[in-house]
Amino acid sequence: MTALLSIEGVTRRFGGLTAIDDVTASLRHHELVGLIGPNGAGKTTLFNLISGFTPLSAGAIYFKGRRIDRLKPFDIAHLGVGRTFQNLRIFPNMSVFDNVSVGAIGAQGVGVVSTLLRRRGPAEAISEQTWAALRAVGLEAQATELAANLSYGRRKYLEIARALALDPELLILDEPAAGLNDTETQGLADFIRRLHKGGLSILLVEHDMKLVMSICQRVVVLASGRKIADAPPAVVKADPAVLEAYLGVET
Amino acid sequence: MDYYLQQLVIGLSLGMVYALVAIGFTLIFGVLNVVNFAHGEVYTIGAYAGLFVVAAWAPPLAALLLAVLAVGALTGVGLERLAFRPFRRFTDEASLKSRAMREATLMSSLALSIIAREAIELIYGSQFQTVPLKLLLNEPIRLGPVTIVNGDVIIFVTALAMLLALQFVLTRTRVGLSIRAVSNNALGARYVGVDVDRTIAWTFVVGSAMGAVAGILVGLYYGAIFPSMGFNPGVKAFVAMVMGGLSSIPGAVICALIIGVAEALSTIFVASVWQELVAYAFLIVTLIFFPRGIFGGARERV
Repeated sequence: MTALLSIEGVTRRFGGLTAIDDVTASLRHHELVGLIGPNGAGKTTLFNLISGFTPLSAGAIYFKGRRIDRLKPFDIAHLGVGRTFQNLRIFPNMSVFDNVSVGAIGAQGVGVVSTLLRRRGPAEAISEQTWAALRAVGLEAQATELAANLSYGRRKYLEIARALALDPELLILDEPAAGLNDTETQGLADFIRRLHKGGLSILLVEHDMKLVMSICQRVVVLASGRKIADAPPAVVKADPAVLEAYLGVET
Repeated sequence: MDYYLQQLVIGLSLGMVYALVAIGFTLIFGVLNVVNFAHGEVYTIGAYAGLFVVAAWAPPLAALLLAVLAVGALTGVGLERLAFRPFRRFTDEASLKSRAMREATLMSSLALSIIAREAIELIYGSQFQTVPLKLLLNEPIRLGPVTIVNGDVIIFVTALAMLLALQFVLTRTRVGLSIRAVSNNALGARYVGVDVDRTIAWTFVVGSAMGAVAGILVGLYYGAIFPSMGFNPGVKAFVAMVMGGLSSIPGAVICALIIGVAEALSTIFVASVWQELVAYAFLIVTLIFFPRGIFGGARERV
């Protein structure tokens, strides 16, 4: 099995601060990998590098064997990388259906001419893809509602649906459990597991250790911008370097 | 009473013109959070382009409007390229919302508007260009006791058709969906595969095409086309946008109609030289009592 996503020697400096320092990691097809680390470890920065938000200082990122670190975010999205955000970025004044449609059209690009010329075909494909994504997260009953009127938990699912409408091969979730209570987190865990069973590769950044340890096949740990561990959950839990990074060590 | 009705009709067609111009402001404010100061000149360019087409080919009205629509669309693309895109080197959220970027594009669009106005003046001179008499839209139509001109009807119908077309584009097409998505959350849109730069260019295309058509309609209605003709409707449309809550299209259209009708009816009570003050009065009242716009309470957007 070749790697779906591979991060090779990636470094990102912001002025004098090295936020990501020579990180190498990979994610295979149909793998569910967790990315954890203390606050400020560089998790979100690494996410932003993968989705094309910030340029690399050094290194390279490959997706399906293709170098993506110089592509624009929407190109990376078209290649099959869907993502969600730690603080939601839904479209509040659009209906739930239209929110997800944007993801579906994202897969096909913008073009008034093509829209006008061959409207029927793609329009139906878009609507089908949109409904499929809504069904996957269980929001089809609220399709016509304004996104702003959804509860916080539902909005999280809406954002995931929007990413799913892109028909991605890799889904990256940035702290999906933030702000959810225990029951909701449990529901989310089941949902992510189901997505994974459905054939999706998933990279999960999360603070909720219980969630990561219970669903991920492998866990990558970052601390101060460096990778300090990369192993199955049980091994990571016992890793002294990880414990030190999280709890500190007496000197 | 007849006079009131007549003024009401004039006010509605005037209001529709303001609405067409206001939509450009509103759409662009929606996606970029900036005011496009060159929008009034797009209106002027529409009028002059129409004049040029009339002089060269004298096509029927519908073809003339389509030609102006196309010129407006191209003007929009050029405007965005020259005055807006160069200042958008960084597209992260902080940069898109930064004051520096907003102020830079305020100045660049203002500069471009001055250049456009002066260029027109160099080519055509500053005097009024007269429209051939047979093209003027002032054939009287008698409706019972009220007399209006065909221009009122044509402006109203054309503008209404364009508003409906806009509604269709915004709700049913990919471009429209992308424009709304970018207005709602530009960063979120990028990550679900929307090409934000291209969407912004499309926004200028749509807004400028509508503004240019408004220019030629008014040119044919009053029979006077001159380099600074875009200023007044630009101000009125700007007021309509502010009253409507900055980025609400329905709000801007309704407020544009209110301004148009109020201006037309104001001549009943005051001399028509005071007419221009109506919009400013609305602006002041709005800013004092409804700082978020009359329709801006719910923060409704495009």
